[in-house]
Amino acid sequence: MPRWKLFYRVMMRPLFREPVRLGLMVLAVGLGVAVVLAIELAGNAAAGSFHSSMESLAGDNDLEVVAWGGVPEALMGTLATLPYPLRISPRMEDFAVDTRTRETVPLIGLDLIAEGSRYASETDASNVNSKYKATLEKSVRDLENPESVWISASLGKRTGERISLLINDRVLDCVVRGVFPSTSGNEHAILMDIAGAQRALNRFGRVDRILIKLPANSTVEDWQKKLSSVLPPGVEVRLEGTGTEENRKMLAAFRWNLRLLSYIALVVGAFLIYSTISVSVVRRRSEIGIVRALGAERRDVLAAFLGEAACLGLAGALMGLPLGRIMAGGAVKLMAATVESLYVSSRPGAIALTPYSLALALLIGVGMAVVSALSPAREAMQVSPVDAMAQGRREYVARAHKGRDLAIAAVLAGLAALAAQMPAFRGKPFFGYLAAVLLIAAAAYAMPALVNFISRTAAGVLGKLFGVEAMLASRSLAASLRRTSVLVGALATAVAMMVSVGIMVGSFRQTVVSWMNHQLPADLYLRPAGNAASDRHPTISMELVETIAKLPGVAAVDRLRAYEISYDGMPATLASADLRVLRAYRESDFFSGRPTGEVLAELRGKNNIIVSEPFTYKHKVNTGDTITLSLGEARASFQIVDIYYDYASERGYILMDRDVLLKYLPDETPTNLAVFLVPDAKVAEVRKAIQEVAAGHRILIFSDRDLRTEAVRIFDRTFAITYALEAVAVVVGVMGIAGALIALVIDRRRELGLLRFLGASSGQIRKMILVEAGLLGLLANLAGFVLGYFLSLILVFVINKQSFGWTIRFHWPVAVLLGALTVVYAATLVSGLYPAWVAVRLNPLEVIHEE
Amino acid sequence: MRSRRLLFVFLLAWLPGAMAQYKTALPGYHYEFPRDHYNHEDFQTEWWYTTGNLVAADGRHYGYELTFFRQGVDRDPSKTGSWDIQDFYLAHLALSDLDGGRFYHAERTNRAGPGLAGIDGKEKRIWNGNWEIRWNAEEEALNAVGENVLLQFSLHSEKPPVIHGENGVSQKAAGAGRASHYISFTRLSTKGTISLAGKSVGVHGTSWMDHEFFTHSLGAEQVGWDWMSVQLEDDTELMLYQFRRKDGSTDPFSSGTYVNAQGKPVHLTAEDFQLVPTGETWTSGVTGANYPVAWSMEIPKLGLKLRATTRLKSQELASGNNIAPSYWEGAIAIAGTRGGASVQGAGYLEMTGYARTMEMGR
Repeated sequence: MPRWKLFYRVMMRPLFREPVRLGLMVLAVGLGVAVVLAIELAGNAAAGSFHSSMESLAGDNDLEVVAWGGVPEALMGTLATLPYPLRISPRMEDFAVDTRTRETVPLIGLDLIAEGSRYASETDASNVNSKYKATLEKSVRDLENPESVWISASLGKRTGERISLLINDRVLDCVVRGVFPSTSGNEHAILMDIAGAQRALNRFGRVDRILIKLPANSTVEDWQKKLSSVLPPGVEVRLEGTGTEENRKMLAAFRWNLRLLSYIALVVGAFLIYSTISVSVVRRRSEIGIVRALGAERRDVLAAFLGEAACLGLAGALMGLPLGRIMAGGAVKLMAATVESLYVSSRPGAIALTPYSLALALLIGVGMAVVSALSPAREAMQVSPVDAMAQGRREYVARAHKGRDLAIAAVLAGLAALAAQMPAFRGKPFFGYLAAVLLIAAAAYAMPALVNFISRTAAGVLGKLFGVEAMLASRSLAASLRRTSVLVGALATAVAMMVSVGIMVGSFRQTVVSWMNHQLPADLYLRPAGNAASDRHPTISMELVETIAKLPGVAAVDRLRAYEISYDGMPATLASADLRVLRAYRESDFFSGRPTGEVLAELRGKNNIIVSEPFTYKHKVNTGDTITLSLGEARASFQIVDIYYDYASERGYILMDRDVLLKYLPDETPTNLAVFLVPDAKVAEVRKAIQEVAAGHRILIFSDRDLRTEAVRIFDRTFAITYALEAVAVVVGVMGIAGALIALVIDRRRELGLLRFLGASSGQIRKMILVEAGLLGLLANLAGFVLGYFLSLILVFVINKQSFGWTIRFHWPVAVLLGALTVVYAATLVSGLYPAWVAVRLNPLEVIHEE
Repeated sequence: MRSRRLLFVFLLAWLPGAMAQYKTALPGYHYEFPRDHYNHEDFQTEWWYTTGNLVAADGRHYGYELTFFRQGVDRDPSKTGSWDIQDFYLAHLALSDLDGGRFYHAERTNRAGPGLAGIDGKEKRIWNGNWEIRWNAEEEALNAVGENVLLQFSLHSEKPPVIHGENGVSQKAAGAGRASHYISFTRLSTKGTISLAGKSVGVHGTSWMDHEFFTHSLGAEQVGWDWMSVQLEDDTELMLYQFRRKDGSTDPFSSGTYVNAQGKPVHLTAEDFQLVPTGETWTSGVTGANYPVAWSMEIPKLGLKLRATTRLKSQELASGNNIAPSYWEGAIAIAGTRGGASVQGAGYLEMTGYARTMEMGR
């Protein structure tokens, strides 16, 4: 008999006899694959494209000259007159909001005279000759006008149309002077001449980058050295696109964690494959025996079971591909929002289903299925033709190993505890994840003992509570211990993940909320309108600041200024604040535990700074250390006098006295204002007064409560994707329960038929199956909850700390957990309905007849 | 009187009323050096234009052109931003390897910006990026770095500057102010280095420098011109320019200057000379323009009969963009007679208005 035929008869035919169960299996694998794929695709789209308009419009340059707070533009002259054949291009780089679509679009100012009409009127290339004069006339005359913009075709405007842009706190009604074809994908961009851009942004004297094209065949390092030697110490010459690379690096940890989270559903799916194949092996012992007796080799049996798993995996992967693509559409929105609020300005790119993602889906689908089938398939291989006759013996063996498994569990748990103590490896919490995996494995090994203990103890109690059916149900679970344990293990893992992430997020949320209560001492907060992002720092006009400070009822205005910088190869935020004002009001948490006033007094007028907790974590610095900062063209040393808790952003923060920063970067415009009112002033009245004086400006005014609500909203949005991932894992787990119950029912046809024959009503049968489902759910919830608690400790204190550097205080999110567990429990009960229906429909006569 | 003027005419055309912001070149202008070697921002257009014939130690001949233009755009005093555009600064660089048959040219356009381009009388410097003229006492340094070419010359004037035209103005068309202030160094002994594609050679020879400033446009009938500088071995120099009119005739405002060995200039009017192509032409593969690359000239009152020919016909500066016009500017060899006696020399020839792109408004 050809092997494939044997394979088909023994493996595939039984599967097709149970289409619902087969469907559930494939769906489970499919969901697992889909989630992983979705996160991979969405991650590429959401994180892959930041600043890419700036990069694609940067052209083919080799080096970039950068300085924190901007490169003094006189250096343009220095560089342009060097006796080297270099091409030097200045850039102003910022953002504008298209007020119609509310989209944030990169705004790029470039020297349109020197760089030519490369971008302008390219779309009119065909009729350049006839129209050229007219175009040039307009272009040159309007060149420096801040209302003249050249836009990417993706913005959907035509030459001559108007586009209204929010830049900093003002709306500029601009005229589209030209449209250039959109660069890679659908990247938006708005170009201005550098003179117009400086005026529109109200930033003069400095440019954001100077791009340099080197002569062909030259050594980049040599040029870097040569150019650095003519530039001031604070100005850096680095490879073009380094900033983008740094952002990518910063996002790596975020993507890494999300990716791992996406594997939870896959792990749960693996448990299910394992359980299904195990069940198959037990159920088909006689078939295996017959096949072996007919001369099949052991490896044929192994191959057959692995082949079955591979088919399941393949089917799952094929289903997971389109599903993953669909899920990615939702995930990319959530991820882009998170990336923007926590990290860097980004507009999600197109979701691209690449050959790589295709291969990934197939690999993880088939790979996971085959790996999880390995152990049961090896077991099937061991079946000798003689053994096959003795049914029930394998279960006995499994029971006999309970004690040994418990010992293994203890060892694994010990190792997990050990791994949790290890530091991060290359900035990633490898050992934290190892600890989590070890803990899950320990739980899997402990499961048989737990199931055995609980179901046996429960038998009596349940019997009294729900009658004889319940007792039978719990006994039956304990009897098929191996199968039950795996099932409970699968669902418990899903529940544990849910519980642990729930606790972690809940703790984080509570920590943030209580931290904000300290952080928001002012009465009103102002920032320019437009979407907030942690790397964009639009400014508020000075005259508005001065007007607000003079309003009746206003006691003080705290001016905050933030700059996007790069420290030690990582993006960071440099901020300054009016410490006089802060000192009077602010209450802040410091590592040292000293009073806020005392710490801030040390900053005033001195080169002293405080840094945020994530900053110390990223850069391995501590209180008392001195760090050198490049500010404008200067380099200066600053001492870290304290570290403060900060949960607002994952990027590191450096805070110094406003007067000190102004010495280096003399741009007075603030990015945020905190307004403190005199004791008897009415907040609503002052707010109205501010709105009136700010009529010509676009600013947002928040009360402290608005800000808290907003922060919590952003927080919840950030973790929405986490919840979604968990939900999928739980769905997979519940589906596994349903599938397993069907298997149990079919497996126990004879027993159920006999019960009916002996007079059990269909109601009693249904009750029995439902109690089994309930018991499984209960066991899984219980085990999952305990496992979840320990996992949450690893998440909060190891993985989160090592990935992001946040100190989170442990907090039980009681309501969330209770709700989630109830839902899972209800879902397992519901999942018992179909198997119960199948069991009831079994014809007792027919079943008995089979004997 | 130089070439890129058509470009500026072109730019001027769309700045109606702009001329009102500027002075025009009128007779009686009081020249003062070195002040007048530098910037005249009251005039809209100004250029510094150096050309030269050089020879290397191995006997190879080279020609070069390094030109700085300034074109006033806006004199609005409220525009004080460092990137605000008061003027456009253009520059052209050309190197002719006359024996090697290679012609290299480059152009650049800038605004003054934060030190990108400009004219600084205090620093005695005229520059556009890393192309510059810098005076150090009597020595004039010319430096230019291009993608494949490097010029480093030291120039020394053998004669005082010449002021062309009559009463300090070089009249270009009928009407007051349709003229320029036009100064030349007609004999600059030159030595230095040329690098072409990484290979350096020491060179020496003679250069010519024009400096012209004005505010006006060409007459409507004037479609192009042919200009020539000639440096004869008997230590005299000659400059001639001739406008071509739409109808094919030559314009009566064509003129020239003869400089004797002592450096004394003699003004030549259109009636004083004849400048005609001898029939030999070269057609540009880039622009399709057909240039008369050999000329004969006759100046009866000086007894001069000269022929101009070139070793390299392809010396067209074909514009890489749509803004600047294309034109031919190249080194020429001069041979002829003065009063029957044989005389040799070298010079530069400029021909504009032949390429289609010169036709404006199309």
